[in-house]
Amino acid sequence: MSLLRTRKGRRLAVVLLGLLGLGSATGLALMAFNDTLVFFVTPGDMAESPPPAGRTLRLGGLVENGSVLRDRRDGKPVAKFRVTDGRAAVDVEFAGILPDLFREGQGVVSLGTLRPDGSFLASEVLAKHDETYMPKEVAEALKKSGQWKPETGQAPPAGTWNTLAPRKGGD
Amino acid sequence: MSTSPAISPASGRSLHRFANPGRFLRLSARVLPFLAVPALLLTLGGLAWGLFVAPADYQQGDAMRIIYIHVPAAWLASGGYLGLAICALLSLVWRHPLADLAAVEIGPVGAAFTALCLATGSLWGKPMWGAWWVWDARLTSVLVLFFLYLGHIALVRAFDEPERGYRAGAILALVGVVNLPIIKFSVDWWNTLHQPSTLTVTGAPSMHVDMLWPLLTCILGFSLGFAAVVTARLRAAVMERRIRGLLLAQAQGI
Amino acid sequence: MTHLPYVAASYGLALLVGVAFAADAWLRMRRAARRLEAIDPRGDPRRNRKRAG
Repeated sequence: MSLLRTRKGRRLAVVLLGLLGLGSATGLALMAFNDTLVFFVTPGDMAESPPPAGRTLRLGGLVENGSVLRDRRDGKPVAKFRVTDGRAAVDVEFAGILPDLFREGQGVVSLGTLRPDGSFLASEVLAKHDETYMPKEVAEALKKSGQWKPETGQAPPAGTWNTLAPRKGGD
Repeated sequence: MSTSPAISPASGRSLHRFANPGRFLRLSARVLPFLAVPALLLTLGGLAWGLFVAPADYQQGDAMRIIYIHVPAAWLASGGYLGLAICALLSLVWRHPLADLAAVEIGPVGAAFTALCLATGSLWGKPMWGAWWVWDARLTSVLVLFFLYLGHIALVRAFDEPERGYRAGAILALVGVVNLPIIKFSVDWWNTLHQPSTLTVTGAPSMHVDMLWPLLTCILGFSLGFAAVVTARLRAAVMERRIRGLLLAQAQGI
Repeated sequence: MTHLPYVAASYGLALLVGVAFAADAWLRMRRAARRLEAIDPRGDPRRNRKRAG
């Protein structure tokens, strides 16, 4: 091979081989630890392989529309809602202050334990937002025109709205 | 030169090396204003545009304006590391005389932008997610990137002979490259609290143009600023090395 | 403006990092150029070789 005839070529080959080996080793390690690298499990994952009751884990998914019940117990706010990933849904109960971004149809990650009755007792709730950014006027226009149905959660494809003129109240 | 008994082979070699850095000094003096001036204008203009002119987000309100710093800083954290790795390759394979100095100068700047990315991410995460920090794959892999930078900064300065530090630093820089695809794809490969990328090569950006233009301006401005600071530091480093070489040659010559 | 403390802190940090690195690089460059000028006024490698030899 002509690559190996010069010193530079041999050094380059050593570096490339080293990177190849390191890359494959890292790839295999990441695949082996795949289960521990996920930040949360979804209700569907939990239905497939139920975790032992009492183990602390993170449950992630969308807050099901119309499922949120806010209450107060001993002067502290208590919230009950259902988290779904489209395949399954889990009842969640949380005592404490929910983040600003918490709302129906929004992504949420709860830390807590699965109770024997299949519901989830959360000790911490984090809001997860998506990668969509738009002015309020555009969001309202999309919802008014029916292109974006809040029940389905996800915003319509970006190409359909990202150049819309954000005029107040107009269309 | 090498026949002169007063001069050691080591300093003779470093004198020989002045040829290429000398050309760098002349060239960079001409290029630097064209990096620094647009960097200043675009960065200040882009930040003011994002802060005062661009609309607030429909969900996140004004907290989303942190994106105009967070995303450029994140891009330069990874981009700077790629630059470090390219210098490492140039140094290990081609023994390019400027690559080692460039790697030494890129390190602290890249580390600072990574720290800025982590800090602004934290300031954004607290009001939106409800947490300053979570150990998800994206945040953790960027923290690893920060430690790689710190390791590189320490390693290149750890030896009495600079050459050994450069070699060790170059190997670390290349080893750390595996972290870059992990950072990039962490949000797609695993469940993370961090959202997926807004700007992708293939799809339309899921961001309104009124926010996209200031963001792109900031990305360009920050990138030019990074290049300007690294170029200026490298100029200083080349001159400092020349000063050391001259002082050494004087001391040995007299 | 909503979330003002968080936004202000982010922009403040960005300006701090930018100004600090730009000032440091500029001062370092100027100091090195002055020292080099003092040691080797013409910056001519041949002159330096004569002196060294």
